[in-house]
Amino acid sequence: MTKKILVVDDSKTALMMEREILEKRTSYQCVTACDGQEAVEKAQLERPDLVLMDVVMPRMNGFEACKIMRQQVGTRETPIVLVTTRGEESYIEAGFQSGCNDYITKPVDGAELVALVESYLGK
Amino acid sequence: MAMNEDKGTAAGAKLSGADAMNDARLRAARKRLEESRDQEDAIEGLREIAATFLGSEEIGLFRVDGDAASFEVIGSFGIDPGEYNLLHVIDKQGLERLMRGECHIEFGTRDRLGAADKAQAFIPIRRANQTMAILAVLRLLPQKIAFDKSDMELFKLLSDEAALPLFGGSGHSKTEIDESGIRA
Repeated sequence: MTKKILVVDDSKTALMMEREILEKRTSYQCVTACDGQEAVEKAQLERPDLVLMDVVMPRMNGFEACKIMRQQVGTRETPIVLVTTRGEESYIEAGFQSGCNDYITKPVDGAELVALVESYLGK
Repeated sequence: MAMNEDKGTAAGAKLSGADAMNDARLRAARKRLEESRDQEDAIEGLREIAATFLGSEEIGLFRVDGDAASFEVIGSFGIDPGEYNLLHVIDKQGLERLMRGECHIEFGTRDRLGAADKAQAFIPIRRANQTMAILAVLRLLPQKIAFDKSDMELFKLLSDEAALPLFGGSGHSKTEIDESGIRA
């Protein structure tokens, strides 16, 4: 069965780029959301195998969305990778406190992204 | 490690992983610009492209007036547009290059780890052999070490293709331009 990734970002450009890379370079299927609130809802609906999520977003940020997903039965164990422009130690620490499994910074290196996702989902 | 861009095609197989990733980046940038609803959305697209691909959250977009003697800020992010004067940061030669259609890139000084300080890029947004606006990419995020070869390809795409979504079919017509593109 095809594995599914929920890609979350309020930047259309980032969504296009990540989707383009993941769908062309891997066998995974992508679904998208444009803020944390929509991500929480889609995660319940779509039950993705991995969530790739921006942090700074309107309505609900990635940290909050991550915390909520960790409390919900369907997404408690789902790997969550946060993607953001902020690379400061304190920020990364806050990401892990919210329950994420991994953290990558923008600008995203496509090869690094593919390798990271494959490390969770296999090839 | 070679990866196929278009799975199973010989052409795709010839692309290196880095080339394919760069192509994906250029395609996404082009699509974002093409899908812009209006000028405001196109400016937002440029902001997203700078943040996502160039590693910068400080940009300014300046419309060139008819004779390139002044520049009107039509979009900015992460800078105070009232405090920023393009004419104070680019010299005459740099402006001449921009008006001719060449990018003006300052690579900055490098620290011992190779990270560039004060790297900035100025990209002419062109249509019909005229520079209609200048996109200034003013500071790189700490994790982005410097502008690289793939950034130059993105600059070219922006230079060639951003004018239409930004200015539609109108833009402006230039008058009284000397050979260099800058009136003395």
